[in-house]
Amino acid sequence: MTASGRSARGPAFWGGLFCVSMVLIGAARIFDAIDATTGFVAMAVVAGVCMPQAYRAATSAARRAGDSSDALQAYNKRMLAASLGYVVGLGMATLVYERVRLDTPGLALLALLPAAPTLAMIRAMARYLLDETDEYLRYRTLLSSVIGLGFVLTLGSFWGFLETFGVVPHVWAWWVVPVFGVGMGLGQCGIAARGR
Amino acid sequence: MNNRLKVLRAERGWSQQDLAGRIGVSRQSVNAIETGKYDPSLPLAFRIADVFEMPIEAIFLRD
Repeated sequence: MTASGRSARGPAFWGGLFCVSMVLIGAARIFDAIDATTGFVAMAVVAGVCMPQAYRAATSAARRAGDSSDALQAYNKRMLAASLGYVVGLGMATLVYERVRLDTPGLALLALLPAAPTLAMIRAMARYLLDETDEYLRYRTLLSSVIGLGFVLTLGSFWGFLETFGVVPHVWAWWVVPVFGVGMGLGQCGIAARGR
Repeated sequence: MNNRLKVLRAERGWSQQDLAGRIGVSRQSVNAIETGKYDPSLPLAFRIADVFEMPIEAIFLRD
């Protein structure tokens, strides 16, 4: 793949590749096809490759079309940093947990590694809503956040009941963040498609 | 709410991007307002009216 070939691909390609890869890795981990270390390395590689590319492609496409704002660019940068921090924190927490015996306070601190970047994501969203002067872009972000929240609540409730009935295996609660992100991304795509 | 944004913009030979720059929003916002997918707030409607030098009610119409 050439450098020019990479830059020609849009944000939907990189976002789609990221989502599909994460779902496949997650499914492989849930059904014990891969161990935690392999899962983390695969997730880190996927995130490290797809997320910066998706950010660059989205920023460049939005600039060309006049569909961006300073607040949106700052938000994307903050979210990219927080998302990469989340993936790294998640992987480190999983690896340390499997290799080092910790007491309860130590485990609580370890759990904060991926949880802290999640707080940074929420802060980035709050900052964006405060900084954005374009009311339509702000409305779109709020709507896509509600769609993301709907994904988490609906999928979480559905999976929870399936788990109670013994149909599906247990899924860790930290999956809410990727599911929220996927739901929000799909919401943005849906709103953009409706606007065309 | 209906609006005459597209017609007024065409009369002046402005693209969506031109109008967006004049009222200080993104092109997407202009497109969403023009196609009736988003109703602007009162402050934004006033800014649009100022740019066209027309009263709000001459640009935005009730359904």
